Amino acid sequence: MNILDITGLRVWYDKIEAIHCVDLKFEEGKITAIIGSNGAGKTTIINAISGMVKRDGQLFYKGKLLTDKSHKVVREGIIQVPEGRRVFAGLTTEENLLLGAYSLENRKEISGLLQQQYALFPRLEERKKQDAGTLSGGEQQMLAIARGLMAKPQVLMLDEPSLGLAPIITNDVFNKITTIREQGITVILVEQNAKKSLSICDHAYVIENGHVVMEGSGDELLHNEKVAHAYLSTTVDEIE
Amino acid sequence: MALQLTINGISIGAIYALIAVGFAVVFNIMRFSNFAHGGMISACAFISFFFQRAFDPPPPFFVTVLFSAVCGMGIALLIDTLGYRRIRLKNSPKIYYFLMSLTFAILIEQILTVFFGTDIYGFPSVFKSQTFEIGSMIFKTMNIVILAVSVVILVALVWMINKTKIGLAIRAVAINADTSRLMGINSSVIVTVIFIIAGVLAGVSGVFLGVQYGVFPSVGPSMMLKGFIASIIGGLGSLSGAIFAALALGLIEMFLTFFIGATEATVILFGIMLAFLFIRPQGIMGIIVEDKA
Ligand SMILES: Nc1ncnc2c1ncn2[C@@H]1O[C@H](COP(=O)(O)OP(=O)(O)OP(=O)(O)O)[C@@H](O)[C@H]1O
Ligand SMILES: [Mg+2]
Repeated sequence: MNILDITGLRVWYDKIEAIHCVDLKFEEGKITAIIGSNGAGKTTIINAISGMVKRDGQLFYKGKLLTDKSHKVVREGIIQVPEGRRVFAGLTTEENLLLGAYSLENRKEISGLLQQQYALFPRLEERKKQDAGTLSGGEQQMLAIARGLMAKPQVLMLDEPSLGLAPIITNDVFNKITTIREQGITVILVEQNAKKSLSICDHAYVIENGHVVMEGSGDELLHNEKVAHAYLSTTVDEIE
Repeated sequence: MALQLTINGISIGAIYALIAVGFAVVFNIMRFSNFAHGGMISACAFISFFFQRAFDPPPPFFVTVLFSAVCGMGIALLIDTLGYRRIRLKNSPKIYYFLMSLTFAILIEQILTVFFGTDIYGFPSVFKSQTFEIGSMIFKTMNIVILAVSVVILVALVWMINKTKIGLAIRAVAINADTSRLMGINSSVIVTVIFIIAGVLAGVSGVFLGVQYGVFPSVGPSMMLKGFIASIIGGLGSLSGAIFAALALGLIEMFLTFFIGATEATVILFGIMLAFLFIRPQGIMGIIVEDKA
């Protein structure tokens, strides 16, 4: 079943149309990857879902029209982990996590949720009193993901979670993403690292200049000659 | 003598702190200098003056303070609704906020001047005994009351900002408004809370200034400069820095006034502000906040 169903999505920045009538479907409990080169419109798409930019088109969430107010989108359980982590520097790690749970009505859940995140990312517990701005890049990325999970998301949108991370940490982050899917959370994964994201995703869209130019299962796209050429900077043979 | 000067200085500093914090909370969240704050203070000084005189016997002082705080809140929300909200909705450049706040400041001062002239209205005496003695020292009752009320308000505010859920949200918006929206924080709620806080602070400082200096249309704008200095020295963006700087400013002013005179004291205070801008533009504790107007 599609938890999120988007038809005819358009986004403008001033007079320039950045997303041109795009249709996207996201299946519940699955990882859907969105790949594409710089400036293709990936971030714009998830910002449109989050209500962070003005948009046109029909967005159905669980069969109902989705609000365009950013704070209400969060309340619906659609959570974005933004590009470049954007942790709150000047607040502690734990305060950042508490902000992730801002939208939860039941404040009693919070200590349990904190424990869950600390179990998933033990490094964060060691550093819970540290200024988030002084965490390393990898730690900040983990914090950003954990902060997203604090909201008890039903849909978690991750914008380039591997950006600027060393290969080992990237692997770690991708492992966590599959763990998140195992918890039943629908994941929308925007990535430059096409190879890794295609290998863990269930379905993927390729975006170019604000259009969907290709879609298919992760495996299909991973073995597609055009994708390999454009996004994997390899040929299919090398992947084999 | 030194102790009395100190108490008086801290008491004046406490009013500056109320002003500085009222100024700083708006700056932190909205990223503009809200000069309308001075106009709000003058308006509240007049409101509390007439409120206090309207009853015989006059109401207890704390009722007047409370009434003025509520009116300050109303004026702040009105200014936001009439002025700032439009700018926000249109996403206009920060300079428009600045111009709008100056316009409101001048407008309020001129309206008050039209109705009441530029005379100084003396606040009716509030307490039966103006002074009290401890040992050989004489204290002004009002100074102690102002100090106590200000401390309570500032402690409550700092507690709220540092320990509550809404306070955490306010700090998050001050750090990054867009990322805060991704946390599910409704920015218009936060802005409303900010103007409520600023309005209450303007209301309370309006009464105190009226009591200490008399009531006249430019009482707010002229005293707001001191609060402004304090928030710059404290570091625009840091509440505790602003409070600390305001108390120090009150003390320095009191001693300078005593030893060399009021006019000279003001000149030296502005000198200190200039020095701070040269040596340490980020203030005592603050960080440099970009894109301000
Ligand atoms: N705030 C903005 N104002 C104007 N144009 C914008 C804005 N944000 C994005 N754009 C433009 O919209 C297009 C899509 O940008 P977007 O950030 O969605 O790309 P992206 O696919 O996320 O790229 P990257 O992989 O580099 O993050 C780009 O041409 C970009 O310049
Ligand atoms: Mg992007």
